[in-house]
Amino acid sequence: MNEIFAQYCNNRHDMARKWKQETGKKVYGYFCCMSPEEILFAADILPVRITGTGEPLQKADLHVPPNSCPFARSCLDAGMQGHYDYLDGVVVPNSCDIIFSMEYLWKTLVKRPNPPSMVGGIDLKPYVHYINYPEKINSRGVLPFYKEVLSIFKQELERGNNRLITDEDMSRAITAYNDDKFQLKRLYEMRKTDPPAVSGFEAWQAVYASILMPKDQHAALLKESLDEIEKTGRKAEEGVRIYLSGSAMDRVNADIIKVIEECGGQVVTDDLCVGTRSFWYPISTELPPLEAIARRSLGTACPRSTVKERIPENRWAHIVNTIKGYDVEGAIFYVLKCCDARLGEYPHLRDKIKEEMGLPSLFLEGDYTAEGVEQMRGRVEAFIEMIGG
Amino acid sequence: MSQEKEVKTKGSKKSLQTARNTFKFIVEDYLQGHAHKQEGKPVVWSCALAEKELFYAMGLHPYYPENYAAVCATQRKNRDPSAEKEAVRFAKIAEQAGYSADLCGYQRVATGYIMNDDLTDAPLGGMPAPDLMVTTSSVCDVRLKWFEDMAQRLNVPLFTLDRPERVFNDIRRHPMPHEVKYYKSILEDYMSFVTDVTGIRYDEDRLRECMEWSYKTNEVRLEILDLRKAVPSPMGCADGFATMYPGMYCSGTEKAYNYYKELRDEVKAKVLAGEGIIQNEKFRLMWYGIPLWFNMGIFNYFEDIGGVFAYEPAYNPSPWPQSTGDDPLTELAIRSLYTGTSMSSGMSSILEQCREYHINGAVLAFLLTCRPVYLPALETKRILEKELGIPSVMIECDLVDERSYSEAQVKTRMDAFAEQILGQLEAKKEVA
Ligand code: SF4
Ligand code: SF4
Repeated sequence: MNEIFAQYCNNRHDMARKWKQETGKKVYGYFCCMSPEEILFAADILPVRITGTGEPLQKADLHVPPNSCPFARSCLDAGMQGHYDYLDGVVVPNSCDIIFSMEYLWKTLVKRPNPPSMVGGIDLKPYVHYINYPEKINSRGVLPFYKEVLSIFKQELERGNNRLITDEDMSRAITAYNDDKFQLKRLYEMRKTDPPAVSGFEAWQAVYASILMPKDQHAALLKESLDEIEKTGRKAEEGVRIYLSGSAMDRVNADIIKVIEECGGQVVTDDLCVGTRSFWYPISTELPPLEAIARRSLGTACPRSTVKERIPENRWAHIVNTIKGYDVEGAIFYVLKCCDARLGEYPHLRDKIKEEMGLPSLFLEGDYTAEGVEQMRGRVEAFIEMIGG
Repeated sequence: MSQEKEVKTKGSKKSLQTARNTFKFIVEDYLQGHAHKQEGKPVVWSCALAEKELFYAMGLHPYYPENYAAVCATQRKNRDPSAEKEAVRFAKIAEQAGYSADLCGYQRVATGYIMNDDLTDAPLGGMPAPDLMVTTSSVCDVRLKWFEDMAQRLNVPLFTLDRPERVFNDIRRHPMPHEVKYYKSILEDYMSFVTDVTGIRYDEDRLRECMEWSYKTNEVRLEILDLRKAVPSPMGCADGFATMYPGMYCSGTEKAYNYYKELRDEVKAKVLAGEGIIQNEKFRLMWYGIPLWFNMGIFNYFEDIGGVFAYEPAYNPSPWPQSTGDDPLTELAIRSLYTGTSMSSGMSSILEQCREYHINGAVLAFLLTCRPVYLPALETKRILEKELGIPSVMIECDLVDERSYSEAQVKTRMDAFAEQILGQLEAKKEVA
């Protein structure tokens, strides 16, 4: 869809290094979409999502057992190998069990760019920042708590980078983020038609690029591309309309989307962290900026979060929000091995999708390798044939 | 976990009388709960790390599906020796319904159990149907998602005790004000939730009373931990795991306190008499992780060559800040947040324990389906070797589902490990 998006998708490290060199600014890595990246952006830092390589591990295998999440292991391995040596800081939220452990693993095993700067027992320039993200995202006391967590993070950044982060800086970040969310939402709207204006893989590329490059630049490029598509009226291939729900999806395993297309399907919407979960809900411009950012982060439809309602259905609510209007014909669950939150919720979501929407589901347990994705082709083909036929 | 392997498992030989009496304690507790339910009083299903006083103070009788799964791992239907263990029967039901075999064994067993129409067709007459459920965000994602799933399936109201997951390097650290305030707000929400569901009102004095029992119980348990440092070991892992139920699941009651007083007295007498689990103790091992509930006999494996499992970090209490005697919810919040649960704290803690308990080697239960246990396993192995020169061996298995257990593999590894340790001890002697 856009050459620059493809460059970011295929050469993310080179692109980040180039950006750093050209701007003289800092780059921080982060895990998971609840991370308060807006605060980094407000401090003139480029936040980039940490992803893996999909290649055989060279270092992390001695530290993280083989049955743990292959995505997270690969991320750590990339860090240990120095692929992320351009990062000035790393943000680890209390997300799933595995990402939580990155606070220790990354801090202990990945070489940091600068030594700690200790004053009174506190590192003034921490390399790994931990965000104590709550798990019940709408309880009565959660907002004051989480605002405090974010202001501690903000203070760490201010000290570490010797600059204040003002409300104006944060408002500027919120505007840039909202602009990008708006364009991404527009991109998803354009997939409601049959055939969709943009294919599943192209859309995924656009979302993936958004977590690797400056949001303002991304929003401008995306707008240009979407304007162009609207003008020419171009359409993607027709196919059985698929809802894709899955674990972490980066350049390694996103090929599952291509496989689906090659088998006669078309992913038209999703429940992915490199997908709707990273942009779907806008940030309030009415509230004080830190509170608005806290609320956005708490609103992340992460599979590992829960809510105060007696029978929690927050994950189902996100599925309903992101599936409505897309004329979906079937759902594919692509879940990585060890991804307990996703594995645990799958039977319920599968049943709900069937009972309430009459849609069939296909379950694929992924191992985060290109070969693994390829091996799923037969099952995907059969599933799509079953729906299409 | 696809292949079925040869399995030869057995219960453990416990050295303490109190430990041998625990099953009776458990059975009585189950029976009391059934009677409680029959009287029309509410039953809650919950999990480890939820503060148990919260249940007793609100007149709820708690059951723990995780503990129940462990019970199912030791029992066969109608005691028929040719039948598979109940845990395996239930796990298969869940797997057939689409629950991945990679999911926590406790979850699969409990899920398969509740998918049966008849909840009483199970060991100990089953758990009475819950009126409400309470889980915690602490330690693993599974217990959050698993309880959500059970609440959805059984249509029973659920409350999650969301405990901030703090990160620091030492073993414990006083929480920050916003953390205490948040967790206290969660505890208050819990009280309102129980009142809404059951009509029972929060009585501060009653909670205070339960907390006094648990505080006293904790102190006695700490005393036992201290006694267990003695050489020769007066109380090993077989006894440690066998005696965890009252402390883990009935804390806040007088009966739990009395149980540990008795246990403390028994252990103390052994220490004073210089009596160990075995006659000629040569080396001391740590069992890292949850045990293989279907094969507790593993703890006696090295006894004939002088090896004892002297200490297990799981389920043991930690020191609490002193009781202030005022607002019990604030006190409870501070107490719960006091101990670190991150890998950073875990590593500091394990090093301390190995030093304190004079450990010569560690057996790491590499529990294939329990992320908080298997995730730090390699790092634990590395740190023990690097910092203390302590070797470890890994035993791969599920904690309740014995289909993944390979007797032959475990035996080979354990034998080689024993040789390694004995060799090391021999070498040390020569140097001395
Ligand atoms: S894919 Fe699942 S297990 Fe892996 S990091 Fe993401 S949420 Fe955690
Ligand atoms: S995953 Fe581990 S810690 Fe979590 S419920 Fe299962 S056994 Fe317990």
